[in-house]
Amino acid sequence: MAVYKRTYQGYSGPLTNPMWRFLVLQRFAFKSVFRSRFLLVGYALCFFFPLIAICFFYLNQNAALLAQVRLQAGFFRIDGRYFLVFLQTQGGLAILLTAFVGPSLVAPDLGNGALPFYLSRPLSRAEYILGKGMVLGSLIASITLVPALLLFAIQSSLMGFDWFRNNLYLAGGILVSGLLLMAVLILLGLAMSAWVRWRVVAGALVLGAFVAGKGFGAVINAVMRSTAGYYLDLQYLFTALEGNMLHNPAPAEPVPALAAALTLLAFCGLLLLLINRKLRVCEVAG
Amino acid sequence: MTHPVIELDNLRVRLGKREILRGLNLELRGRTVGLLGPNGAGKSTLINTLLGFWKPSAGTARVFGHDVRSEARRIRGLIGYMPENDCFIAGMPAITFVRMGAELSGLPADAALERAHEALFYVGLGEARYRKLGGFSLGMKQMAKLAQAIVHGPKLLILDEPTNGLDPQARVRMIRLISEMRALGTMHIVVCSHLLRDIEETCEEAVILKAGQIVHYSNLEEERASNRRFVEIETEGDDGTFAEAIELLGCACAVTAPGKIKTVLTEGIEIRDIYRLAADRDVQLRRLNYRRDSLEDIFLKAMG
Repeated sequence: MAVYKRTYQGYSGPLTNPMWRFLVLQRFAFKSVFRSRFLLVGYALCFFFPLIAICFFYLNQNAALLAQVRLQAGFFRIDGRYFLVFLQTQGGLAILLTAFVGPSLVAPDLGNGALPFYLSRPLSRAEYILGKGMVLGSLIASITLVPALLLFAIQSSLMGFDWFRNNLYLAGGILVSGLLLMAVLILLGLAMSAWVRWRVVAGALVLGAFVAGKGFGAVINAVMRSTAGYYLDLQYLFTALEGNMLHNPAPAEPVPALAAALTLLAFCGLLLLLINRKLRVCEVAG
Repeated sequence: MTHPVIELDNLRVRLGKREILRGLNLELRGRTVGLLGPNGAGKSTLINTLLGFWKPSAGTARVFGHDVRSEARRIRGLIGYMPENDCFIAGMPAITFVRMGAELSGLPADAALERAHEALFYVGLGEARYRKLGGFSLGMKQMAKLAQAIVHGPKLLILDEPTNGLDPQARVRMIRLISEMRALGTMHIVVCSHLLRDIEETCEEAVILKAGQIVHYSNLEEERASNRRFVEIETEGDDGTFAEAIELLGCACAVTAPGKIKTVLTEGIEIRDIYRLAADRDVQLRRLNYRRDSLEDIFLKAMG
């Protein structure tokens, strides 16, 4: 081990690019998050469906292999419905991941007054939120958006350019709904982490935002005999958006895709306000 | 001509409906500056404004010539800040905490790690650097906060109540470190403290704030130099003529009580001349102090 002389000297070496310095937060937060073996196992399990799907896509187009079991190549139709089920399944896992990881991102910093430590350096509040959000964002993207687009690319390569051209709307739908899901979950995770110190409660509230919204929505719909309650149901809004964008809407859909997307964006704005209100170095006096 | 370390020009800061800083005008160029004032005087608000956490409602504040309104990010790159309150991440080892601070200030990862080791050794936490901050004593946490503030080699170090809650031994260690850093001459230091003794021991200049205004500025170095000419004497066996004898040497003199004399030594008169005079007149000198107004006297006067 090196022996350090007890002395102090200034630093005059090169500095890193300020534009990407928020990634330092992400790197350190990742290390802290993956100290939990439970999370590591859970995260690995999130890749089960995508891996099975990749194998299935390959087998679905492997004529020689399918002939042995007397099936034709492409016996299973890969379309919007398939990607809808995929996104909803992986989306559910992403919500669980957010409930587990989100509360540990900001709460420990606020609990120990560490915000001045970050913000007294050349780092803005927006970069702090971005750095912390990137942890959740990369985890969520890696189990939803990235594997869905990868599956689309694999299917395109197996089926050829015509399939790709005819089903390009699928990639658009995956991208838009995947990005919205990421935005909502990142901001929800950070907001709960910022406002609720207790990790378990914050995690429960992340899940509650989906469950309670559904309940409230159903009550409003029943009492007021309207469809306004659907706008409180996050799960329903995502289903409506994804269904419409993947050309697989539910029959008699009461919420149009655009309305669902705008409602989700408004929810994101509300969460941003909550985060902005809490992540301040000092309380305003008087 | 180099820019002043801190330059305030009619600085006003309003938080909510209250005006906390009321038209501060100041130019500080000293190596170490003490910021004094009672609770609510505006010390922390001034520091937070310099760090860009609060925006001035009027006037300007500059650090090394950079405006806090438009160049807050650049200023924060030049500053190391040790906050008053708890500021750590409980589950994180000290070395990771200090290293992360260095990386956030722009040091490359390998340099940051090396500097984190050096900084922790420097503040005396070398042996504890792999321990989690949550298990540190208050004194150790203060030292860890100091390490994260100096790890990137700032040009200006702001220490907010650095000896808060420290036991006497740890306080002495903190004061020694501040004095050492001052002596190195690589950074300017602003010490914000309620403890006048801390400011007196570490600073060259002191600024006293009261109700958001600067009520006194004191160059402690000059005060110390003038104090060397101001002497308090207690005598025994003086028949009342010792003071007159001192005056005959050309020194201004006042008898404050029987046997108690205050005098200002004029140029060319040294303390040994007083001893000689006492020996000639067979007067015992029971006590002899170089003392004028201490910072405490100055502070109390400023507070009205």
